[in-house]
Amino acid sequence: MSARVVEAGQRHIREINDELQKAAAEGQEVVVTNTLSRHNLGIGLPKGAHVRFEGSVGYYCAGLNDGAVIEVERNAGWGLAEGMASGHVTVGGYAGMSAGAAMTGGTIHVKGDSGPRCGVAMKGGNIIVEGKIGYQSGFMAHSGKIIALGGAGHSCADALWEGEVWVAGEVESLGVDVNVVEPTAEEVAEVDSILEPLGLVDSSRNWRKMISGQRLWYFESRDANAWLMI
Amino acid sequence: MCGIAGRILASPGRVGNDLVELMDAQEHRGADSTGFAIYGTPRDEGYVLRGMGFDKTGLDADMERFRDILREHGSDYLEEPVFVTDDNPHYCVRMVISDPRDIAAWIRDADTLTDRFEVQSCGRSLEIVKDIGGAVAVADKHGVRDMVGTHGLGHARLATESSVLPNASHPFWARPFSDVAIVHNGQITDYYSWRERLERKGYRFLTQNDSELIAVWVSDQISQGLTMAQALQKSIPSIDGVFTYMIARPEGIGFAKDRFAMKPLVVIEQAGELAAATEEQAVRRVFSDECDVINYDGPSLTGIWTVGNRRMAA
Repeated sequence: MSARVVEAGQRHIREINDELQKAAAEGQEVVVTNTLSRHNLGIGLPKGAHVRFEGSVGYYCAGLNDGAVIEVERNAGWGLAEGMASGHVTVGGYAGMSAGAAMTGGTIHVKGDSGPRCGVAMKGGNIIVEGKIGYQSGFMAHSGKIIALGGAGHSCADALWEGEVWVAGEVESLGVDVNVVEPTAEEVAEVDSILEPLGLVDSSRNWRKMISGQRLWYFESRDANAWLMI
Repeated sequence: MCGIAGRILASPGRVGNDLVELMDAQEHRGADSTGFAIYGTPRDEGYVLRGMGFDKTGLDADMERFRDILREHGSDYLEEPVFVTDDNPHYCVRMVISDPRDIAAWIRDADTLTDRFEVQSCGRSLEIVKDIGGAVAVADKHGVRDMVGTHGLGHARLATESSVLPNASHPFWARPFSDVAIVHNGQITDYYSWRERLERKGYRFLTQNDSELIAVWVSDQISQGLTMAQALQKSIPSIDGVFTYMIARPEGIGFAKDRFAMKPLVVIEQAGELAAATEEQAVRRVFSDECDVINYDGPSLTGIWTVGNRRMAA
């Protein structure tokens, strides 16, 4: 069954998203054309939906994703897959600020770089960035993994809570309250099992695994300076 | 929230029309007021003024007093004032004046009228048009789509720090520096203390808008000998708050972003032309074909785009 074509253009976003929901309910794959970097494309799509966006999308694409497989051919704007519960989102190019913000599950795969605060406050799931993750990525992440294959910008893993940031390549600087730890073979195998379906396993990688230093979990007056750095 | 935009053309053209498109696409970011700063072909002599009076019933008296002050400074109308009014109490005016002996001295005297009339831009080429309402409404009222020039700025305001008043709209002129304008997305938190310092140096601020500070701050740094690039860089650790701002001068547009990278900036450069905006979907109004987009998403960034789009070292 060939994919249904939905043109975005300047049509009302609700009309476009209604058509995507309808196609999902009918089990029909969709290609969205003429996306014009529009915001809020493909919100809250259910399991079974398969949507491919030609070109680039604006803010909050695939937000609140509930199981859909979503592909963006080129770049995504701020807040990609914000609040995603489950599903798989692939971006061919760059993903803007706060990709995967507050997501609770599912997978984001960015083939280019990501902007700042990738995975901010994420509470589950995995974000894989083939390029470099931007400034302050992993900021206050509660759970889940951010895996960057091409390095990280400044203030990496800042104020991390219980998530993990894995970086192969250069880390420009660490954020507040970060511990860099040597991963065990089992932990590396677990990360490789996440990368394996994406065809991204490379055993020669020199991983840096960043976890919370846990000093910010409780306020202690001797740590006041660390708090002031946030 | 606010939305900002910048546009540079390879040669003089309908920059007003493009800025209206850029701002219409971002009207959801703030429809309290909209404004445009447009750089037309520079005059060899004389200045274009844009101004606003707050009570149109006093228009004749305002203009009489304004002209008296001009004449006291060796200047007069080169082109008679043209007024724009609607149902609102305020009126807007455009005129061309001959060169006053000293711009700063003249504007200081002209500013004695600011309880009823204020000059909102002064330049060989700069014209600032601003008003309450969305992009299309302001553009239709003031004929912005037909304004021709090389480059310019746009702003959609969601008022967070001060009142919604027609004169509190962006862009702001860097009083008294001719041909300098700014648009800002964000909030400046230490603007009262900076304003006090600048006021002690003789600068005047006409609104309670925090953004008015930035234009004067950057211009003051340049007047002390910094290059524009140095002034932009120095603003980042000096001014406290959240900002992405763009500052325009006859030679081009500069920008700076705060240390926490809180506000977006998206740019498309193609064939010597440039469009910059808060949102990518806005620049796609100008460049609708799928093309390479530069996301200035990182912290503490600055840059300058010159007219003709030759990038200067920033």
